[in-house]
Amino acid sequence: MTGTYATAITVVALLFAGWALISAAANRHPTLLLLAAGVLLETLLLGLAVGGIVQMAGTEHTFARAEFVGYLLGALAILPLAYYWAWGEKSRSGTVVIALAFLITPVMVLRIQQVWAGSVG
Amino acid sequence: MSDPGAAHVPAPTGKGFGRVLVAVYGIFALAATSRSAVQLATDFGDAPLAYLLSAFAAVVYIVATVSLARGDVTSRRLATVAISIELIGVLIVGTASLLFPGAFPKATVWTGFGSGYGFIPLVLPFVGLWWLRHTR
Repeated sequence: MTGTYATAITVVALLFAGWALISAAANRHPTLLLLAAGVLLETLLLGLAVGGIVQMAGTEHTFARAEFVGYLLGALAILPLAYYWAWGEKSRSGTVVIALAFLITPVMVLRIQQVWAGSVG
Repeated sequence: MSDPGAAHVPAPTGKGFGRVLVAVYGIFALAATSRSAVQLATDFGDAPLAYLLSAFAAVVYIVATVSLARGDVTSRRLATVAISIELIGVLIVGTASLLFPGAFPKATVWTGFGSGYGFIPLVLPFVGLWWLRHTR
């Protein structure tokens, strides 16, 4: 699993999470700029999913393939669900929901890498 | 109760702080569901008790998430039941996993009072029940 790309996603997600948390602390509801950040991260995750599945198809090495694809798709589902749920909330709580989605994304990326390496029990 | 003439309408459970609470419940619904799906699909025979508990926890989290998000009278009742079961579950499984570690060779969301998840599974039901009271 491509380490640099996954690390880049983690860094971007954590930066966005920090930004969202600061926005929430400043009592801001979710803005269009925050939506754009989510779209950018989702695009990166889509690249991870496509790249991951292509790499999986091209390798012989043994690991939990169904689980791997499950986590890739799960990581893709989180941000759209979070924005859908947060958007109706015109208060700081909506921004916190999006911050949570940004914080969960690195955890999902980590799990994806662990499954790829075959170290998941 | 203070206004016997009009029907008392409780505050919605999915607005304001409730948005965040539902999101956290949703994350645990997702985590417990994916964990139990993998466990049940791959090696159910290894630790049937732990794996069935994971699946049970997943159902509890899903019910709590959906009913807190809906927030009507029936949903509030359902949420109260689900979160009470969650509280009892995390306390019993947490205690049992410390007393009889041999019975839990594979972890569940509630093992060690949710220590694998930053003890959030232990705190969450208290917050949930408080929120249901608070919005009543």
